[in-house]
Amino acid sequence: MTTSEAALEGKRRTAVGEGVRIFKMAAWLGWQAESNWTDPWLFVIYSVIKPVAGTLILVLMFAVAGRGSAPELFWASYVGNAFYIYVGQLLWGISWVVLGDREHFQTLKYMYIVSPSMGWYLVGRAAAKFFVATIAVLIVLGFGAWALGIPVTVRGVDWALFWPVFLLGIVSTAALGILLAGVSLISSNHGAMAAESLSGALYLLAGVVFPVDVLPGWLQPVSLALPHTYWMEAVRRAVLGHGISPMLQQVSEGQILLILALTTAGMVLAGGGFYRWAETLARRRGLIDQVTWN
Amino acid sequence: MKAPPGSPARAWWDWKYVRWLLELNLRAVRARAYVRVVATGREIMWLLWEVLLPFMATAAYVFIYRALNAPPAYLGFVILGGAMTAFWMNVLWAMASQFYWERYSGQLELFFASPASLMAILLGMSAGGMFMTSVRAIGVLVLGSMVFRVEYAVAHPWLLAYTFLVTLWALYGLGMLLASVFLLYGREAWHTSNLLQEPVYLVSGFYFPVRALGFWVAAGATVIPLTLGLDAMRQLAFGGSPWAIAPDAVGLFPPGYEATALTGMAVLFIGAAYKALGRMMWAAKVAGTLALKH
Amino acid sequence: MSTSETRFQVDHRPRPAGLAIRTENLSRVFQVRRSRKWPRGRRVVALDGVNLEVAEGELFGLLGPNGAGKTTLIKILSTLLLPTSGRAFVSGIDVARDPFGVKQRINIVSGGESGGYGILSVRESLWMFSQLYGVSNRIALDRIDRMLKLVGLEDDAGTLISKLSTGMRQKMNFVRGFLSDPDVLFLDEPTLGLDVTTARTLRKFVREWMAERPGRTVLLTTHYMAEADELCDRVAIIDRGRILACDTPASLKRQIARQAVLRLEVSSSDGAGLSQADLARLKDQPGVREVAARWRPEAGRTVLTAILEADGAIPGLVGGLSGLGLVVHSLAKEEPTLEDVFVKLVGRTLAEDTPTNNGDHDSRNGTLPGDGPEVGVGGAGDGEAAAGGGAADESAAR
Ligand SMILES: Nc1ncnc2c1ncn2[C@@H]1O[C@H](COP(=O)(O)OP(=O)(O)O)[C@@H](O)[C@H]1O
Ligand SMILES: [Mg+2]
Repeated sequence: MTTSEAALEGKRRTAVGEGVRIFKMAAWLGWQAESNWTDPWLFVIYSVIKPVAGTLILVLMFAVAGRGSAPELFWASYVGNAFYIYVGQLLWGISWVVLGDREHFQTLKYMYIVSPSMGWYLVGRAAAKFFVATIAVLIVLGFGAWALGIPVTVRGVDWALFWPVFLLGIVSTAALGILLAGVSLISSNHGAMAAESLSGALYLLAGVVFPVDVLPGWLQPVSLALPHTYWMEAVRRAVLGHGISPMLQQVSEGQILLILALTTAGMVLAGGGFYRWAETLARRRGLIDQVTWN
Repeated sequence: MKAPPGSPARAWWDWKYVRWLLELNLRAVRARAYVRVVATGREIMWLLWEVLLPFMATAAYVFIYRALNAPPAYLGFVILGGAMTAFWMNVLWAMASQFYWERYSGQLELFFASPASLMAILLGMSAGGMFMTSVRAIGVLVLGSMVFRVEYAVAHPWLLAYTFLVTLWALYGLGMLLASVFLLYGREAWHTSNLLQEPVYLVSGFYFPVRALGFWVAAGATVIPLTLGLDAMRQLAFGGSPWAIAPDAVGLFPPGYEATALTGMAVLFIGAAYKALGRMMWAAKVAGTLALKH
Repeated sequence: MSTSETRFQVDHRPRPAGLAIRTENLSRVFQVRRSRKWPRGRRVVALDGVNLEVAEGELFGLLGPNGAGKTTLIKILSTLLLPTSGRAFVSGIDVARDPFGVKQRINIVSGGESGGYGILSVRESLWMFSQLYGVSNRIALDRIDRMLKLVGLEDDAGTLISKLSTGMRQKMNFVRGFLSDPDVLFLDEPTLGLDVTTARTLRKFVREWMAERPGRTVLLTTHYMAEADELCDRVAIIDRGRILACDTPASLKRQIARQAVLRLEVSSSDGAGLSQADLARLKDQPGVREVAARWRPEAGRTVLTAILEADGAIPGLVGGLSGLGLVVHSLAKEEPTLEDVFVKLVGRTLAEDTPTNNGDHDSRNGTLPGDGPEVGVGGAGDGEAAAGGGAADESAAR
């Protein structure tokens, strides 16, 4: 480690206040970039049109093939799909910070100059994404309750279960996003697709819209190792009063919370650790300002 | 510089001039396509990532139909749709938004200042994009068909192949048109691209037969070439004949008509792209908006 | 291959023989969109009645500070931009009427270019651009290898562009401009931000390329006076969209040879630079023609360039400086440079940006009243302003 790097390292450890400052700035920046509330059109695109269209795909699939299935299955799918908006938005949002800033604005290197660690910057940008997603989730749930008769009411939600579960789920998703940002940092433009692809893969593995029981036997252990599987299950229980998977029914709420907490902790360690490694690699190889699009 | 002695007049009836013009622009097409083709080869690891993860996202939709005990052909519909999403993504992010990004990087001016036509650049981008994306789409298709044991019944392979190709050209023709339109009217291309993602997945029936939307909505959605293309390919892949609607495939129109319409759309969109390009170039020269830096 | 080298043209009008570039009263006004600072939008006059004639085979320089209108002129000549009024001809072809005819004969390189698709190698990227000019593969690859060697990039021909340093990237872009063997080449600040050695390599390259085939013409813009002086056959000095002088470097400098050019380094006790008012007071001293200042934050000093009627005015100027509470660290009488010519014509140094010309004002000298950005003399003296000024000056101070 050179002396300047050592100095940087020291600064990084002492600079929590600095981190908070960057967090605030990044949240504000993200706010500007992603949820320009002065522009109602952008709000409509991200918080209404995209999520509602995505939801309607699911609704139509049930409409063409779901005759005769129990309504609970549809409700549970719908609620899972609604909360999954967070995953799509956060994964895309966080990794896009790296790509967009690097490739299209070519400003990433400047962020590196002002900020001791990109981590805070990413978390700050994620906070802005979180707000956009929250509004989308509320709109989708409201639409479901109003137009599709999904039994979601404010009174009916088990808030004591909901809040801890919700928090853990968001944290683990953000951690995954940071991991993905690390991937983007050391890889090429294809990383843009990676967010899309990863959230698609999670959609499958976490049993967001169908019971994990229908997955082939060899895939189920993978599914059961992911925090998102428990997150979805627990959110459904809190919001609807029932889950979707017969297999997970045997797990109590307390157990789910415990597993969720443990897997989330694992995700945070993995995401943070990988990101640090990627950042070091990127600095060493000078990948920060690479432009790889074609 | 004086004109080279004995150089022919610049006129359409002069074969030497036409041949020179043709050669210049074909070289440009090849060169621009080369960039994307070579990118595919250089990022072979990413290709794996790009096939495997989109495949998993598609599989999620397959499992919904499994959970609902849908007829087996639906699995094939979803896999075909899932494979074709890659093209729509490519058209949005690497065609429609491309000039926007080329402008950011200053490349647009270089293209503009060269004697080659920008139309040649667009055609090259299309050809390269089609190739690159076909690798991914075919990967998803083959993998999906094998894993879920989809049985196709193709009675008219040539019509199916023609439909596929003409769908791509109509689609990329639309992309070429949007490239200029985004630059002319779009404030920020990626917002528009984002807007056109899920809603098009919905109305073009990527994950369910488009007929389910009701005839008039589906007919309206045919402005996006993928709607007709998917509908025709689904019918032709599952035993449909050219001039009748295949009832099992819940077809919208007979595939022969759809292929004919797609041919017209390809010509129309590419023609419109040429016109739009002219307008865009003129507007940019008048307003001085070809580059962002000045 | 001869077919790919052939060019086609139609002459729209008889042209004066031997002129590569000609402009007639060329003007360009930009309509800038509304913003917070300019709620009603504004008009920027980037070029204001420019008349230029560049002969075939000439290496012609356009010297002016940032914002003077150099890039705008090049964009019009290379058909990327339409003039608001006036006309321009390249190789006798009207750029507005027959852009295709012009494009076949020209190429452009601009210094700030980020350039190329990251996944391509240097050679591939250059090949790609050569194809847009219809150059056959054999000729293109041949030229690429030869020119990469000339700029010292031959070992990196296979390196991916995303792995190149800024300097290497700029060299690559530079080579790109020559691949189509243009009749007229536009170089827009080609050495911007490059280190001295690289800049020298590129300048040498240009000179050799010009010598290789007579009739090749280069229009080079720069805000480095040394570059214009050393490289160009003739130089036009441009500011606020107007050509203020146009001649060989030697004749331009001769204009002020009878006057004294002084270079002074001064500092004040409070560490601040000079304000605009200070400069005005110095200019009022008898015998002082012009005074311009450049703040050097690293030294905490200001470098003054003063043009005097005669040596006799020196004591008056020094007296004026002590009157302002400034300490003079050094004083030297110098051979005039192109920068001094610029200072004499404009009253600013080349490092300072052109104040925005709104078109409403018609003053040639001095700052515009009101909204124009302040002239960059470090008057404020606080740390951040000084650092900012330093960054802006960095490239000019090479
Ligand atoms: N596309 C544009 N839109 C608005 N203003 C512009 C544009 N291009 C240049 N300008 C303005 O025109 C003036 C001259 O710019 P430019 O030709 O780039 O100067 P130079 O190249 O000498 O630095 C500047 O004030 C600049 O801000
Ligand atoms: Mg310029």
